[in-house]
Amino acid sequence: MVIPKTFKVHALKKHFAKRQVLHEISFSLESGHTHLLSGDNGAGKSTLLRILAGLEKPDTIQLDLGRGVRCWRSIKKELQHHTLYLHQHPYMFDGTVNYNLNYAISEKLTKQERKQQIDEALEWADLKDLANSPAKSLSGGEKQRVSLARAWLKKPAILLLDEPTANLDHESRQRTLSLLEALKNSGSAMLLASHDPMHFPSLIDQHLHLDQGKLIRINEQNLPIDDTAHPSFRSTA
Amino acid sequence: MQESLHHSTTANDVMERLTTTTLAALELLFSGNPELWEIIAISFQVSGIAILVATPPALLVAFVLSYYHFPGRRLLISLNSTLLSVPAVVVGLTLFILLSRQGPLGEWKLLFTQTAMILGQIALAFPILVAMGHSALQACDRRAWETARTLGANPFRALLTIMREARFGLMAALLAAYGRIIAEVGASMMLGGNILHYTRNIPTAIALESSKGEFAQGIALGLVLLVLAFSLNAFLQHFQGKGQPA
Repeated sequence: MVIPKTFKVHALKKHFAKRQVLHEISFSLESGHTHLLSGDNGAGKSTLLRILAGLEKPDTIQLDLGRGVRCWRSIKKELQHHTLYLHQHPYMFDGTVNYNLNYAISEKLTKQERKQQIDEALEWADLKDLANSPAKSLSGGEKQRVSLARAWLKKPAILLLDEPTANLDHESRQRTLSLLEALKNSGSAMLLASHDPMHFPSLIDQHLHLDQGKLIRINEQNLPIDDTAHPSFRSTA
Repeated sequence: MQESLHHSTTANDVMERLTTTTLAALELLFSGNPELWEIIAISFQVSGIAILVATPPALLVAFVLSYYHFPGRRLLISLNSTLLSVPAVVVGLTLFILLSRQGPLGEWKLLFTQTAMILGQIALAFPILVAMGHSALQACDRRAWETARTLGANPFRALLTIMREARFGLMAALLAAYGRIIAEVGASMMLGGNILHYTRNIPTAIALESSKGEFAQGIALGLVLLVLAFSLNAFLQHFQGKGQPA
């Protein structure tokens, strides 16, 4: 898969009923970088991720996946092909862990190739002992690891994570963070939504903050950056 | 005293008659009576084809009603629910008018054929499959569809995936619809005409034999329906039992 280096999002707007959830926001994501998306509950983080995953239709959007700016309609398919959205509570299909991992592998591969990839993913996420366990009966942390193993198998250009460590105990959180680190090193651009930025100290390259539907860049001192200095990053109401 | 004795004698007569008739029915069944087994085969064939034809489009409609929001969606759900309560004989009558020689589809010459019976049974099964399928798919976690799509499944594969996730509810819909059409008499009688060796199925044969006072064959066929109903339910219970979390 050819992974574009930069993904530019322009003029993204979304409203629900009479409430404007996302004002005309623009930003870019770099491959191999992790972008933290913070904001209070209801700030629009999940909506933004779901739009980028092609699961929610925005009012307006222009996306540049490295091949020129095109409208939402024409690139929705491509976006779904390039992104992987991980729910806050990962959904496990009815079946074993093996079955769930198999789902993320291309159907074009041979049975032998699929088995090899699944074995590698099980090893990668330390799930070997659970390979034949029913996925629905796993703990929250184990489900998160299955979900990340599916991401590792699919190798998306953009990985969209919605509160990946929410409701996890300390050990599960540490294991999730180390898997996220490994995914970052594989070259995916990650957009990670969390209302608590302190959970990901070593992972984050850029901090974006959603406040009342507007996007603000935050520096290392947790202060807003003047966005007029960054043409690829604008937030205009 | 005399009246009480009379009642007791009548009850004994009825019991004896019922026992004799049931034994005669079992004998008919197990002796491999060709006429009886032909009726059973026609029933299974007609209803089997009807359910096979009705299921894919009905489940597709159920899916669209569950996952897409469009103007008129609620109206369609209400209309479908209304169709659930339409008697089989009314469905039969409507199709009879359409298929009769003077009707708009008279040229097809389908009246009193197995095809007409199949059409009638499709019309009966369709709303059941849509209503129960819609409930089953709506109860399915929305994240199943989203996870399938985000993992790269095309819409068709994602559709198959959520049908797999909702398979117990969908199987119940299928069995309920099959149970309804294999036992219905009104539409089959009007559209098939109850022609021996061709359109006579279990319920129309029961109606005919009972009207002639030939209860043995009616009871034999009733037993077949009873065994079928039990088998379908036992299968569903077994199937659902396998789906329990370990």
